[in-house]
Order: sequence, then structure tokens, then C-alpha cells
Amino acid sequence: MKKCMTLLLCLSLAVAALTGCGSETEKQEGKIGGEMNLYTWDGMFPQEVLSGFEEETGVRINYSNFDYDEDMLAKLEETQGGDYDFVIADDYIIELVIAEGLAQKLDTAKLENYNNLNPVFMSQFYDPDNEYTVPYGAGIPLIVYDPALTDVEITGYEDLWNPALEDNVAITANYRVINGIALKTMGESFNTEDLSVIQAAGDKLLELAPNIRVINDSNTQDYVVSGEVAAAFLYTSQVYTALNARDDLEVVYPSEGLGFGIMAGFIPSDAPNAEAAYAFIDYINRPENAAKCFEYIGYYCTNKAAEEFISEEMKEMIVLPEGVAEGEIIQNISQDAEDLHAEIWNQFKSACD
Amino acid sequence: MMKNRKSNWALLAPMYVFTILFVALPILYMFLLSFLTRAEVWGVDFTFTLDNYKRIGEPLYLNTFVESLKLAFLSTLLVMLIGYPYGYFMARMSAVWKKRMLLLIMIPFWTSALIRLYGWIIVFRTNGVLDKLLMGLHITEEPLKLLYTYPAVVVGMVYSLLPFMILSVYSSAEKLDFTLAEAARDLGASSFKAFWTVSFKLTLPGLLSGVILSFIPSMGLFFIADILGGNKIVLVGSVIQEQLTKGRNQPFAAALSAVLMVLTTLMIRIYRKVTGTSELEGLV
Repeated sequence: MKKCMTLLLCLSLAVAALTGCGSETEKQEGKIGGEMNLYTWDGMFPQEVLSGFEEETGVRINYSNFDYDEDMLAKLEETQGGDYDFVIADDYIIELVIAEGLAQKLDTAKLENYNNLNPVFMSQFYDPDNEYTVPYGAGIPLIVYDPALTDVEITGYEDLWNPALEDNVAITANYRVINGIALKTMGESFNTEDLSVIQAAGDKLLELAPNIRVINDSNTQDYVVSGEVAAAFLYTSQVYTALNARDDLEVVYPSEGLGFGIMAGFIPSDAPNAEAAYAFIDYINRPENAAKCFEYIGYYCTNKAAEEFISEEMKEMIVLPEGVAEGEIIQNISQDAEDLHAEIWNQFKSACD
Repeated sequence: MMKNRKSNWALLAPMYVFTILFVALPILYMFLLSFLTRAEVWGVDFTFTLDNYKRIGEPLYLNTFVESLKLAFLSTLLVMLIGYPYGYFMARMSAVWKKRMLLLIMIPFWTSALIRLYGWIIVFRTNGVLDKLLMGLHITEEPLKLLYTYPAVVVGMVYSLLPFMILSVYSSAEKLDFTLAEAARDLGASSFKAFWTVSFKLTLPGLLSGVILSFIPSMGLFFIADILGGNKIVLVGSVIQEQLTKGRNQPFAAALSAVLMVLTTLMIRIYRKVTGTSELEGLV
């Protein structure tokens, strides 16, 4: 047994030593070289941009993806901010990442294209002084409906409660967002920590249950595109996909006020190849590259200089209309309030059945 | 003698190491975790608490256990009603047909379970295969809303669990000496009575192990309820998953898993008591 264990140990050490050497040998003249471990959701960059960066810098990109922000946080906690060089995730989780000391401060002097970023999407709650992050896309969940399948003219969240939409609505599965729209119909903030207000919103949400046909976070647009439901409450990229698939669908900017989310990138505290990450941030923020990225992912463009490179037909979908940015961002709230949200969500789900 | 025993031990050692490393330790870790407190942002604080278990007592979470048990019982019952005759008659077929029938059960396994479930979506969706068929035959006028309903989930469960039942009944029925039933007939028993008192009794271990083999997984197959039920049925499995990811509450997820595990172990206990067997037919 003991012998076996020592052998195993030796082997793993040897493997570690070998892989350690590997990255050193790839360096080329004048180029940064090595590898960059990119960690974000699936499909966040067009292949064209990734390959372009690899060619120009000699850096090989390892693209690994997560499904939930929380998976990313767990991974970074495990590696203590190591292993990954550049991470893109949602605003609220980045606040936690920064609080845990898992992100490093950016040296913006190294970023030639830093000034291309749109200040509307910066200095937000998760990084008020823009010390750690650069924005990469913003989203607003919207209602999309099929006028052929319903007589209800939808203008706001409240209309989803209309009994005429019985068993005809698809929603995403993020409970802060869904409970949030109930709060919005009551004129409250997404981020209220008043438990009685949250409970009241929960009671109101239960009345929505008979209208819900399906709850799903991924590819939610399919339900409205295929005619399975008449109305769907979708994330920005899903709205974009739905409208590209069928132009007879109507988009609603709900009158009660918009939810707003920003995705941002940061370099983990112990990134093995931060140099490559800087080069990458700079590369994706060149106006023409940024335009390609946002046309591909279908989120609102967070790069001001890129806007003129975005094709006319896409502009109305991914360049944020003036004034809309007033929308409220969902932020982290007290543990008690968060727990109550989770509980309401489970009650609501059981009521939908 | 001594030498023999030593070499036996050496042969078994890897199995023990494997079991300890990958079964016993994780379970121990899970039970330990379930008594700890969640940390502010991520991970756990090493403060002992029983709150996680107290929370399971809340009606909301108790209800998810009830919901899971209900679905598991219903699916198992249906699997039994369909799977038993299939396995039983398969065992009575000629060798060639036995092979063919077995092949029919095996072929779907060549594709991932998830993809096969998505196949059901195509069948059930509005204006999908089933809708088109029913409307084509003028049985229904309008598309039915079949997908994302309870029956759709039950169909998915039964479909996924059926092979376990069929195979364990089959392996039990194959060993059955059918001349015994013939003897019962010769001695004047009706065909039903001969089946009930002889054949059924002798294939009972297969049936019961099929029940266990479908009941246990059905407690955990939450993704079927998610895919075919549109996330609307809250099962213990989905709560555990949600608490681990979005909820960032590992201790509570561990407590839920612990209770689920104890429940399932209890079921196996009861099964052994009732049947007096200790091994599962068709598995070993």
C-alpha cells in the first residue's frame, strides 16, 4: 500500500513538473505567447475574434465555460484566484468575487482601448471606481409576444397576469428577476430588503402561476418562436434570437420599469498569464472587434467606439436607446431577504404545476 | 492457509480503497457538511448547527419530499404494470426471439438518456407528432397542450425506468421452470391460479428487485421533471441542485441529500424484510 502511494505521489509530481515546463517552451519572438485560460459562458465570442487574437499574439486560448455564475465563484474559491486568466460573469457575482479578494486591480495604462468603453455601463455598484472590471455586454429582460396567439396587448409586466393568457407564458428561471417583476408591478425596487414587501410580492406572484406554462433559463425563446406559448419573458440575448427567428413577434419594454444587468470581465487575483489577459481585453475592445463580438452575442454594446461599426439592422437591437440605461440593476441583498426570495420561488414553482 | 488469505486480501485491497475513497468518505463528508453553517459569501463556517435539518421540517420542503415520493410511487407502479408482463413473456419466447426482444430494449441505450428525453419533446409539443396524429385521425380538433404537464413527466419517468424492471423480471422468469406451472394445471388449477400460485410467486424476487431498481433512481431523476415538466414540479433533487448552485447553501443541500439517502436506505431495508432476500435479482 505505502509503496503504491509513494509511487502515485511521484507520478503526480512528475506530471505537474512536465506540464509546468510546457507553457514556457511556447514563447515566440516579440509575441506574448503561452496560454490564456478564458472562463465564461459558452458562446461569448465569435471564433473569428478568438482566432484573430491567437494569430496576432501567439497566445493559445483555452476556453472553458460555466453555466451558472455560482459555479464560477466556486471554481475561483477552489483555486484561490489561480488557473484562470480572464473571467466574464454577471455584475452581482463580481461584487462577491471582489469582496473575496479573488480579482486583481487593473492597470488601465496597459489598455490602449480603455477609453472606448461606454461610461454608462461603468462605475456600477459592483465596482464603483472601475478598479477591477471592464464591462462586456449588458442585458435587459424583456417581454416578447406573438400577437397572432393572443388578443392581449401587452405593455407591461402587469399584463402577464391577465387571465386571458392562462397556461400561455414562458419565463426564465432566475428568481430574483421573476420575483422582481412582481415587485415592480407594486412599484417597489428589485433590491428591497423589506421582508413584508417581498412577501407581498410573493403573494402576488402566486396569482401568476396559472398563466405559467414553462420555466426555463436556457433557450427560453424557443417556446415563443415555436408557438408553444403566446408570451415569454426573456433575457436580452434570447430576445435577439427570437426576433431574428421571427420578425412578426412583438417586443415590449415593460412600462413599470426595466431590469438591467451588466456582464463584466476581470483578471483573477492569481492569474498565471495576466499579460495575455491584458492583451485580450485590449484586443476585444478595438472598435471593429467589439462590434463583431456584440453582433455575435446579441447583448447591448458596452463599447461606445464600436457602435459605428455595428450594421444598421442590428443597431436597433444591440445599441442601447437613450434613457433606457435608467433601468435598475439587481444587486446583492441581505441573506434573510435572499432566503425569502428563494422560498417564494419554490412556492411559486409548486403552484405552477 | 495463511499465505492464501494474504493474497486474497491483496486482491481485494483496491476494491476497499476505492470504496473508502469514493463512497464512504464522500458520504461522511456530506453528513458532516449538513451540520455546519453556510459562510457569508461562499463555502461553510465550522459552526455546528441543527438548523439545516429544522428547515427541512418546514412545509415547503416537506412538500418536495411528498411530491418526490408521489411521483416515484406512481412511476414505479406503472413500470411494474408494463414491465412485468414484458419480462415474463419475453422469458417464454424462443431463443431467437428472446435475443431480438433484448436487442429492442438495449438499442435505445446507445443514445444518451438526455437526447431520448428531448425526443419526447418532439412527440408532445404543440403541433408535435402526437398532436398531428390525433388531429389527422379527427380525434381532437385543436392542439392539446401535452408538454410541460404532469402526465408528460410520468411518461418520461416510466420510459426511463422500464428497462430496469423488464431485465430483472426477465432474469427471474428465465430461471423459472415452466413445467411447474404445467404440473399445477395437470393437477386441476385454472391457468390464472397456476400462474398466481406458482409462476408469480417464483418470479416475485425479480419483480421486487425491479421495484427497488426503479424506485430509488426515480427519487433522484429531477431532470426529467425539469425537461418534460417545464421546471414546474419541485422535487427534492431540484431543490438540492438549486441550493448548491444559485442558493450557495452547501450545508442545506447536504442535509437534504442526507435525508433523501436515509429515506432510500429505509426503503431497501423494508424490501429486505418483506422478501427475506438480501441480493437484488438481475443485478448480480
